[in-house]
Amino acid sequence: MVEKLVEVKNLKTYFYTEEGIVKAVDGVDFEIYPGETLGVVGESGCGKSVTSLSIMRLVESPPGRIEAGEIIFKGKDLIKISEKEMRKIRGNDISMIFQEPMTSLNPVYTVGDQIMEAIILHKGVNKKEARRQAIEMLQKVGIPLPEQRVDEYPHQLSGGMRQRVMIAMALSCDPQLLIADEPTTALDVTIQAQILELMNSLKESYGMAIMMITHDLGVIAEVSDRVAVMYAGKVVEYSEVNTLFDDPKHPYTWGLMNSIPKLDKDVDRLEAIPGSVPSPLNFPEGCKFNTRCPLAADKCFDQEPPLEDTGGGHLARCWRYKDLEEIKKRGEKIYEDRGVLD
Amino acid sequence: MAENLLEVKNLKKYFPVKAGIFKRTVAQVKAVDDISFAVEAGETLGLVGESGCGKSTTGRTILRLLEATSGEVIFEGKSVMDLAPKEMRAIRRDMQIIFQDPYASLNPRMTVADIVGEPLVIHKLVESKEEKNRRVEEILENVGMAKEYMNRYPHEFSGGQRQRIGVARALAVDPKLIIADEPVSALDVSVQAQVINLLQDLQKEFGLTYLFIAHDLSVVKHISDRVAVMYLGKIVELTDKKELFKNPMHPYTQSLLSAIPEADPKKKKDRIILEGDVPSPVDPPSGCRFHPRCPKAFEPCPKIEPDYKDYGDGHFAACHLLDK
Repeated sequence: MVEKLVEVKNLKTYFYTEEGIVKAVDGVDFEIYPGETLGVVGESGCGKSVTSLSIMRLVESPPGRIEAGEIIFKGKDLIKISEKEMRKIRGNDISMIFQEPMTSLNPVYTVGDQIMEAIILHKGVNKKEARRQAIEMLQKVGIPLPEQRVDEYPHQLSGGMRQRVMIAMALSCDPQLLIADEPTTALDVTIQAQILELMNSLKESYGMAIMMITHDLGVIAEVSDRVAVMYAGKVVEYSEVNTLFDDPKHPYTWGLMNSIPKLDKDVDRLEAIPGSVPSPLNFPEGCKFNTRCPLAADKCFDQEPPLEDTGGGHLARCWRYKDLEEIKKRGEKIYEDRGVLD
Repeated sequence: MAENLLEVKNLKKYFPVKAGIFKRTVAQVKAVDDISFAVEAGETLGLVGESGCGKSTTGRTILRLLEATSGEVIFEGKSVMDLAPKEMRAIRRDMQIIFQDPYASLNPRMTVADIVGEPLVIHKLVESKEEKNRRVEEILENVGMAKEYMNRYPHEFSGGQRQRIGVARALAVDPKLIIADEPVSALDVSVQAQVINLLQDLQKEFGLTYLFIAHDLSVVKHISDRVAVMYLGKIVELTDKKELFKNPMHPYTQSLLSAIPEADPKKKKDRIILEGDVPSPVDPPSGCRFHPRCPKAFEPCPKIEPDYKDYGDGHFAACHLLDK
């Protein structure tokens, strides 16, 4: 049995705002094994980004606070360790790249300075050696003329190049886990293809694990080994990637997959999920998807379903996943058009 | 064959780059550089391309929200480029636009009834306040919103609902053509589908014609009848959507199609990964603008600009390879 690299148990991260308590992450469990890619998919406000910030201990406090749970990384609970210890892990064992590379790079330092900062801090090498390593990293992420680019400022680079610099920076200390929060969302599709290919090849050569956070099921299908689908602060489905796409167990996952147009299949109408995501200030009782779920029954409004094994390690948080299976077998749709949706 | 509702001929839109204390024009951003196409009545023409390719500028220039540098826009057989402001206003009743960002395109101080009703008042389509409210109610119902929302303000709505309000506003004056500029790209996946379905329903019900501008090829494929692909201010390919996805002629279209990540983990695509970035439209490459990134470029490509022409059955493309 391979040992887990990260294990997140019942993580709760809340934000205390004037309007009330925002339960952004409300009991999230998952694990990541060494060398694998876990895809985390969900729509805005589902808590996927806050989960990753909690792992990095970068949740701004106040107003945010990790309320409960454990984040076990190599036997240590990251929630309990001191900030000093955390600083040794952050950027070294676990590093992160963000959606918008322009806002995460410092505009007044050269890209070389920014990559070198992490190398000097974590590896304790001198400036000259750090510069050599920075150039080497830029080369590895496919930046042309790295000796020249190392002295340039972020504004001199294109969006795709900036994201490559972010990746170079994140990988400069050989992390065991790379958290990528929507790394290609701000990029054009041809540039996105470049970056995804780069991440896949670097993952192999570095042997690191990746937590890939995105709203794009296409990206998820492309890079993930396993997938966690999040909705309203919770994981609602968790499975190996092929079984998830072949046989989604949760009505939400099923709806997401049917609401995107496919390139290889023509449909007259998309199966849209009605309504919109509930406000985190005011989640419904019972199953949080009950306001939009066409299968919702009495039990779904009373009691929150557990994340249950539906067989073969395919977990789903739904009281009615067996009924969904029957419906799928009959080839029926579950999301009917209701015309007026709001 | 259906008649052309809109014809665009050799449309150019250059933005001057000014520098120095006298603000002299030192260069031109060739955002749209000599494009021609037609939109038939009742169809949806998809206009797709990456950021900076000029697709949004094209939409705005057609409506004269931006003044074209040169070229012609013909709407229902009438050139709109030389119309006086008053005549232009009249024609705008028939041409409406839906914007990408439902947060920025609705006035936060106006109620839904005022936002949707304003075009009715401007175009003098209603005579009294009661009539206006009655019309607004009808229109809101068409876009799937309850009339109880009439007196609320934009901030009270989610992104998807705001986009419905944007659609309702465009719909209010009973237009013939709607230019939809990335109408779903700011929305969540599940809500995207709602808005796409709504646009399709409205098209059927009111016989609308759409120019659908987007960067997402799968969405464009779903909603369009024909698709035009833009790259650096030029249309590189235009054809029926089935034909485009089955038989893409231009190397840029081919790589664009291969770059889309598909929601099917078992499908391993033969991906054509393009080198480098999109060049700047200030100083676009010579000859064919795609040649520095094109995996199939050969000797005429950097020198001569390829002609944009019909390669049979209305499959337009601009590429030297096709004449080889």
